[in-house]
Order: sequence, then C-alpha cells, then structure tokens
Amino acid sequence: MTFTAPALLLGLVALPLLWWLLRVTPPAPRQERFPAIRLLLGLAAREETPARTPWWLLALRLAACTLAIVGLAGPVLNAGGRLAGKGPLLLVLDNGWASGADWPTRIAAAEAVAARADRAGRKVALLATAPAEDGTQPRVEPPVPFAVLRTRLAALAPQPWPADRATSARALETFLAAGDPAGMDVAYVADGLTDGPLPAWRRFAADLARAGPVTVLQTPTPQAVLMLPPVSRADALVARLARASQPEAATYDVLAQAGAGRTLARVVARFAPGAATASVPVALPMSLRNSLDRLVLATSSPSPGAAAGPALRSAGAIALLDERWRRRPVGLVAGNPLTAGTPLLGELYYLQRAMAPFADLRTGTIRSLLASPLSVLVLADVPLPPGPDREAVDSFVTHGGLLLRFAGPETAAHPDPLLPVKLLAGDRRLGGAMSWTKPQGLLPFPASSPFFGLPTPKNVHVRRQVLAQPDLALARHVWASLADGTPLVTAATHGRGRIVLVHTTANADWSDLPLSGLFVSMMQRLVMLSSGVADVAGNQPLAPAATLSGYGELGPPPPRAGAIVAARVAATPVSPTHPPGFYGPESGRRALNLGAAIAPPTAAPAIAGASVVSLGLPPRSRAFGPWLLALAGLLLAIDLVIALGLRGLLRPAAAALVLLLLPIPAHAQPMPPAPTPRATAPSASIRPVPPLPTTIPRAALHTTLGYILTGDATVDRISREGLAALSDFVTAHTAATLGPPEAVVPGRDDLSFYPLLYWPITTAEPDLSAAAVAALNAYMAYGGIILIDTRDGEPGFAPGAGQALRRLTRGLAIPALAPLTTQHVLTRTFYLLPQFPGRFPSGTVWVQRGQDRANDSVSPVVIGGGDWAAAWATDAAGSFLYATIPGGNRQRVYAYRFGVNLVMYALTGNYKGDQVQVPAILRRLGR
Amino acid sequence: MTASAMGPRAAAHRAESLGAGLPPLLVAAERVATTVAQGVHGRRRVGQGDSFWQFRPYVAGDAASAIDWRQTAKGDRAYVRDTEWEAAQTVLLWRYNGATMRWRSRFATVEKGERAELLLLALASLLLRAGERVALLGRRPVAGRGALERLAMILEREAADTLPGPAAAMEMPPPRHAACVLIGDFLDPLEEIEAAIARLAARHVRGHILQVLDPAEIMLPYTGRVRFLGLGLPADTLVPRVEGVREAYAARLAEQQDGLAAIARAAGWSFGVHRTDHAPELALLALHQALAPRREGA
Repeated sequence: MTFTAPALLLGLVALPLLWWLLRVTPPAPRQERFPAIRLLLGLAAREETPARTPWWLLALRLAACTLAIVGLAGPVLNAGGRLAGKGPLLLVLDNGWASGADWPTRIAAAEAVAARADRAGRKVALLATAPAEDGTQPRVEPPVPFAVLRTRLAALAPQPWPADRATSARALETFLAAGDPAGMDVAYVADGLTDGPLPAWRRFAADLARAGPVTVLQTPTPQAVLMLPPVSRADALVARLARASQPEAATYDVLAQAGAGRTLARVVARFAPGAATASVPVALPMSLRNSLDRLVLATSSPSPGAAAGPALRSAGAIALLDERWRRRPVGLVAGNPLTAGTPLLGELYYLQRAMAPFADLRTGTIRSLLASPLSVLVLADVPLPPGPDREAVDSFVTHGGLLLRFAGPETAAHPDPLLPVKLLAGDRRLGGAMSWTKPQGLLPFPASSPFFGLPTPKNVHVRRQVLAQPDLALARHVWASLADGTPLVTAATHGRGRIVLVHTTANADWSDLPLSGLFVSMMQRLVMLSSGVADVAGNQPLAPAATLSGYGELGPPPPRAGAIVAARVAATPVSPTHPPGFYGPESGRRALNLGAAIAPPTAAPAIAGASVVSLGLPPRSRAFGPWLLALAGLLLAIDLVIALGLRGLLRPAAAALVLLLLPIPAHAQPMPPAPTPRATAPSASIRPVPPLPTTIPRAALHTTLGYILTGDATVDRISREGLAALSDFVTAHTAATLGPPEAVVPGRDDLSFYPLLYWPITTAEPDLSAAAVAALNAYMAYGGIILIDTRDGEPGFAPGAGQALRRLTRGLAIPALAPLTTQHVLTRTFYLLPQFPGRFPSGTVWVQRGQDRANDSVSPVVIGGGDWAAAWATDAAGSFLYATIPGGNRQRVYAYRFGVNLVMYALTGNYKGDQVQVPAILRRLGR
Repeated sequence: MTASAMGPRAAAHRAESLGAGLPPLLVAAERVATTVAQGVHGRRRVGQGDSFWQFRPYVAGDAASAIDWRQTAKGDRAYVRDTEWEAAQTVLLWRYNGATMRWRSRFATVEKGERAELLLLALASLLLRAGERVALLGRRPVAGRGALERLAMILEREAADTLPGPAAAMEMPPPRHAACVLIGDFLDPLEEIEAAIARLAARHVRGHILQVLDPAEIMLPYTGRVRFLGLGLPADTLVPRVEGVREAYAARLAEQQDGLAAIARAAGWSFGVHRTDHAPELALLALHQALAPRREGA
C-alpha cells in the first residue's frame, strides 16, 4: 500500500492532542432559558456527573479522525513498487495472437505499470509489437501522459497474427536513435514466444535491453496454445494442438462446433508434461462430422459432465474447417463400363450404394475423372497397363490421392506396380469342388488398421481372392485378413497418397463382403481416410468472407483484408492483408488457419539482464482513500447522533434525517484518484470555441432548399420560383415543412444547412473556384444531394449544355453514375414514379451507381436535363409560368412528384428503400 | 402575541368577550362603612345612597341637614329622608409582568404574561359589568363603559416587575377592606411574597393569588444535558441529565406552591394555579368563585 500524499500522515501526530482535548471537553450542553431556574439551582450541583467524554465516544471520534487523515493521504492498494528510471517509460506490449486469451490481464498489467510511471510524473511511450489491423507496422508512439495513454491502451486489441519481432526491433532502433534514452526504462508485457525466427527475436531482445533496464511481465510459462489444422482420419477428425514446450501437463477441451457455434462434441486434449504437441480424435457420425464448421479450444472444465469452459479468446485457438475436411469426391471406374451398374451383379453396384450417403460419386473413365479434383479413385478390377492412364493415376496418388482397388480376374491376370503388395499370379479359390479349403471368414481387424473396432460378422465369407507374395514387410501393409491369415485388405503409401487393395471383387462374385454392413463401414472409413478436396482451385481470387479477430471471433473482414489466389491459400502467411478466416464464395470456402500458417510456438529465451515479474492475475491497483473518507464521515454522523442523544436533542425524526443525509461516497475510482495538473494540462486545454457567425442564414431555422446562383438572372429567377413552388407543394402534400428557398454561392455560403441543392447548368457560367469545388465536394461527401439540371431535355434546347456540364463539374467528386431506373429508391420515396419529366420529358436521369455505404447508399448527385425548376415555377397567383413540352397536366404532375420524391430522398435517405411501398410494389409485380 | 401586541383596545375586547360568558359577578360586600361608596345596587336597607328609601320622623341627633323640608312642610312633623344604602366593592387587580412572565416554552402557545393580562382584563370586564369599582393596585379606580379600555391602556404602560410594595409608595393606597386579585408566577422567595401579602392584609384587604405557570415549569419536560439560563436573573446552571432532577424539581415546585397556599391561608386569602396550556375560562371561573359572595355572609 502506498500513499499519494504521505505528508498528510503527519496529521496523525496530532491525534494525542485531539484525544486530550476531546477527553477534557465534554459535549457542549444545550442551552435553555428557564424562568424557574431558582428552583433548579441547588439541584444541578447535586446531580452533575463528571464532565468527561465516555471512552467509547472518544474512540469513535479518534477513529473517525484517523480514517479521515489516512484517507486524505491517498492510500493506494497494490500500487506496486516505484519504478527504477527517471525518464519516460517505454511500454512494450505484445498484441499478437498469443496474447488474445489473457488480454484483459495484459492490459491491466500494462495500465498498472503506466499508472505507476504516472505517479512518478513520467510519461509513457507505447510499442505494440503486432501490425495493426489497417496494416500499420509496429512503431513506438511518442511519450504521453497516462491520461492520454489510457484511452490508447483501451483501444488496443489483440491481433489474429503473430507479433512482428523484426519490425518491432527496427521501430525500437528508430526510436532510440531519435530520442534521448537517458533514464528510460522498459516494461515489456510479453507473450513469451519468439513469434517467428529466433534471430529476429534476439535482435528485438537486444534492442529492448539497449533501451534501458527491462522489466518483463509475463506468465511463468507461455500460455499460448495453437490449434493446428485437424487431420482427417477414417473414424475421426484428429484435433492437433501445439504449445511452447514446458514441463507442466495441461488439459484443454476441444469443442467441435457446427455453424452458429453449436457445439456437437467435446473431447479433452491433454499435453503430457514436457510435450509441445497434443492430439485428440473427435469421433462423430459422418453426417455430423460433415456439418462441422470449426474446432475451438476451450479451457478445461472441471468434470466431464459439466458444461464446457469458456472458449479461449484467441485466433490461435480456432481451427476453421472448409470443404477439405468435408466433401470427398469419389471416382468409380469399372473394368467393364457396360455392366458396371447392373443390379446385383455389376462391379460398381454395391460400391455406389455403400458410398452414396457420404461421398460425392462420379463415374467415367480414369482420365475424365482425374481431370477434376478427386479424393478417392476406386478401380474395380481395372488393370493399369503402362500408358497415360497409369501415369495419371500415379500422379494422382503421388499428390495425395487415395487409390482404392478391388481385385478381380483382370487384376489377378495382369498385376501392375500400382498395388500395395506384390501379387502372386492368378487367384485363389477357396471351397468348391476342386478345393480342400472352405470359404474363409474374417479375423478381427488389427489395431494398426483404420478398420480397427469394426465388428466382423460371422456370415461374411470370402470364396476367391488374390494372394500377396509372402514378404517380411507384408504384415505392415495388411489392414484386414482372412481367418487363415491371408490378407484381405492391404495398403501402402505412394508419394503423398495411398494405395489400398481389396483382395477380392467389389461385387458378390468372389465374396459375401459387399453384401454385409461391414462393407459400408469399411468404405466409409476408407473414404474418410482420404484428404478432402477444395472445389475451387486455380488462379481464381478468393475474397475474404469472414475473418477472425484477435479474440477468435468470426466477423466481417476488415477493410484492409484482401483476396487470396485459390491455388496459394496454403502458402499464404497470415498478415493484416490476409487475416485468418474464410475466403471465397459460399459454395467453396477455403479456410486460412493461423495454425497452418505459422510455425509452432516456441518459448522465447530470457532477455539478458531483465527482471521478470509474473503476469498472473495482478491485484488491481485501487485507491481506497475515498472509501476511508466516507467511513470517517459515517463515523462522524454516528457521533453526531450520539452527541445529539447525549444532549437530549435526539428525536426519532431528527435521527432518521441524519441517517438519511449520511454522505454517500462517490464511487471510488481506480488510480489515479486525482490526476495531477501536469498530467492533464495537454488534454484539458480547451480549444477556443469559434464565435458563432453573426449572420445565421435563414436555412438554419427551417428545412430549406437551396439553388446555386449561376449569374444568369433569368435562370436564377426560375430556380427561385421553381423551388418556392416545389417547397409549397411539399409542405402541402407531405409531413415535411419547407421554408422559402435560398440562393447559395458555393465557397461563400455554408452549404451544410441545405438537404438539397438545385444547380441549373448554363453555358455562360464561369468555372468554379477552388473553394467552391472543395465546398461542393465536402457537401456531397457529408450527405448532401445536388440536382444538376442541364436544362436541355432534348438536344437543341440548350446547345452546349453537355460541354458546360463537363467543364463545370471537372473538379467535383462525382461518383460512377448509372441511369435512374424504377428500381432505384428515388422512384418510391414518396410517389411511385415511372418517369421523371420536368419541363421536358427528361431523357436519362443519372444517379450514383451501386451501393456506397459511406452515405447510406444515397446518391450525392442526380443529373438530368428536365429543366425541372421551370416545370415547377409558378407566379404569385399560382399559375404556371412555363409550358411543359410536349405538354399536358400529367407531365406537370409527374414533374412535381419527381420533386417531392427528390426532397424526400434528400430528407430520408434510403429509408423507403424496402419498407413502405412493398405492398403496392408487390401488387404491381403480380399484375 | 401578547396583549400589548394586540393593542389595548383589542385586548380589552377580547377580554370582554371572554367575560361575557359568565354571569355578572357579584362581589360580596362586607359591611365596612368606611369603604362603602356610591353604587348602583341597593342593599335593601337604609344607608348612604342616591335612591330614596323611606321617610322617617326626625329624632334627636339627626343632622338638621338631613331633614327633608318638602315632606316636613306637608305636615307638622319633621321628616328625615332616608336613602337606600348603596355599596360598591372596590376590586384591586395586579399582575406581574417581569422578565419571567415574558416567556413561553414550546409546550405552550402563549406567554405567561399575556395569559395573566387576559385573565386580569376578563375579570375586570366581569366586575365592571356587575358595577364594581375596578382599579389596578395602587391606582385610581376606573368605572363606566370605557373603563375596560382605559384599564387596558394603563396595563400596557405600567410595568409591574416587582411584588406590590408598601402602600405608602403607591399613587393611591388600597382602600381598606377592598378585594384584591394578584396574578403572577410567584417564583420569588416565599419570604418576599409573604411580606407583600402581609402589607396588603394589614389594610384589611382580602384577596386571591393566582399563580400562572408554563407547562414546562410544571413538568420540566427537558432531557439530556442542558444548561439552564435564568430570565432577568443572571444565573445559570448546567444539568447533565434533566431526567434525573425532574422529581426533585417537582418536589421543590410543590414546596413553593404549598408555601404560597400557606401564606394565602394565613392572610385569609385564597390561592389558585393556572397553566398556560389550559383554557383561561377555568382560571376565570376560579377567580369568580373566589370573589363571589359567600352564602353565609350574604
């Protein structure tokens, strides 16, 4: 416990004096005037007790005074010791993926250190070692007081990529080269990992040590656990975990979650003492396994029955699963394609029925099948003579495919090298007239077999098989064998893939196996053994669909995130440009996992000369002075009540009042209780408020339309009359109340009062000044709408208007434009409009193309040639001033309706985009 | 609000309305010739008065001036005209208005002095209606319709912050055999009170002592540690626990009142106590009964 103002504690010396004073001074009596005092005079002397304060009252008052003195001295609990240096403190904070799980602890530790520095009057420089979400590389932020740093710390978040040691080291070097490091010291909130190659770490550590005495705040051993991409096994998905090697055992829960975070299974993964990796199979039925979306690491729950602990909030604790873990395209090739599908007899008949529920089956020739990605290629008694077919199959297996072959007469007759074992020529017939043997049943599957655990039914008998050449290595290849020990299923790896041979046919010719349920289970496990196939390949760019935050939460991708070429997903490092997450379209998502993209975590070596402080859960620094003061106040209030009681002034109502008015302490703030003036000086300096303009335009008082002065008096008058008539019309027909229109000159007048500007284009109008361009651009950027009217309607009415438009809008930030169609919200903000005529039947009206979220998808500009102001304009009597061309009341009505819609569009944005007119729109669509 | 604050006229009216609730007060008159004055109610016997009573034959010894010559002229005997004896009692009123009377506790609504003046004026109203002569002790009597107002005016002016002094010091010594009503708190030492009463009793004044007390003075309702300050008396005393001395105080007060009652008895007077939180009519009735003619003496 420390004190912010220890000098005040000297006040405690005065307590004995206070004690003496209180002891000799009885409570002041109440004064009463009393006529019959003569009768009382003698009585008082006889009854008066010694005028001493009772000891307990004395103790109460002394306690109150002590509390008040100690409280004013500003005690701070767990403030930590004083820091060593005198200059600024360099706070280095690891905010890579490994810091996500215990981020609050880290930030609390960082804040505590910074607060300690602040109490010593020191500023704090901050270095966050991971690149920011917007791609900003790590850099040392200049020293600021804690009050400023605090908000910065609060805004920091763990990133889903590792800390960048090399860049951080460079940032440190730049900082050290630029500044005077005298008296500086370093507090390093570390994740304990090298986060990359060791040399980069060494350089970083050396730079840290060079900056000043280093205090490392870290957990005794790195707590970060990385979930590696799981491996598909026949019966289970194997979750793999990696951590920095450490002597303690550790247990985590692995949650297998489907979409929307539904947990389908929970298994416990255990790191053995000293182990750096752990793996645990997640066994799930096929259909459920295919619906898995991700594997999430959670803290171990105390008992198996209890609910899972909270998930680790780290991007490293999640493995996202994509199609590679799900879809298994299986290609089926039969020796005789014509009879392959014959019911009960065909070679593929049983295979198709066994595999259809969980695999994507395709049939065809070998080369046509291998032209698209395949997980498993099944050859049912297809010999592979040398040639392009064999090369294609060889290449497929070498690159990770699973080749499943069934024996048969052809295979027996023409063995080829793409078999797991060497075959004896011919086949072996068990039972029958010419044989002494009987059809053989199955032995239980060996533990090394993927079929291990499947029951072996008694009624499955194999009548014919091909035999493997006896070999010392044969036993290693056998996955299933018959009762007499001859192999039934053999397998061998070939390149990155695997070849599996079933020594009998895929139909019921040679054995009962395809008729049994076991066949289905075996096929299922074999297919799951294969690696999945992502549908999208090649050079197609995959846009980020959802990415992980540093807390391991899947969300919309940050603006900085970019697309990845499909073929290079596996080779893409995780970075701000490519945060971990899902990429690509809904149908073929690819997962970019942090665990796949970075090296397994490695514990960082200690920094030479650094003192290490355990991060743990540091008790929060707490200033409890206010509470002591409140307690002192409470005691004094009690004392007041007692004193009143002693003086006979206490009545129930008064006592209740005193108790009600007890000082209720303001919530005790964590450190610092009162920032020093020095600390607040920069932030507290109030910028002088600019004086309000003396002439506030009338547009500030009412919703008002504006028109841009062109310099042509006639055009400007038409604009004013047109907008005035439109304003009246809008006021009369809608809930909006518009004031009289105002003329504006961009660059001179403040445009921010006008929801809509009307800008008639005249050929004579001079070019816009730079200030006007800036003002109009700002107006459009902040949600204003400009109706640009070329007033030409049909060519010939205003020759040169097109050129004038191009000339005048040269500097303006006009977005990409598209013709206004009836799909646009502008056509249904108030009226449903099929056309947008002004004085002329306007040709094409142009609005912003596409959606722009910045302005609520509201087009900042509407360009057309309808000469709308002239269509709207009326004289004082309300009669129209300009004839419509070709004419008719209907055109006038539509012109007004277009104006109303435009005003509503300016006032309500895309509000009417989908809601109000839906019934009418539906009715029209149905018609 | 004190009587003086109301204004003398208002105080008089209030007192009169209070007095109107009681039957006219007849003061028992004693047969003391020297104190008999002209009054309005006859004694149904021969005596000094304005009203004709009877003619009687002149006897030797009658003053020649007493002969009614007109009656005598009707016959040959000399007649003396007897008048009815008309006697009016003088009632002397006094109230104490020292510093101790200008006080009230929070348990009462009026000050003791205000109550005392109200009682005095109410009594005066009754007496005047009954035709008695009313005077403040040591002052000239007042009578007639405006007498009550005049009395109130005098009351407002006059300070009576000591007990009645010797008759010689008064503007008008109390007539002998007058009735006297003394209203005050009578918290002074008993000896002083006794001396004052004795001086009045020596002039054959009989009377009534009414002690007006605040309820706080009777009950001592304070608690806790209290420093009591005297009024008009530079004394104070600190009582650590008022509850503890309450009984002793009550005993002392009873002693004082017993002493007062004994003094009154010794002088042939009567004594009563009035609390300011009680209705003034009670005290007025008590005074009325004290001054009413005794049946055996009528």
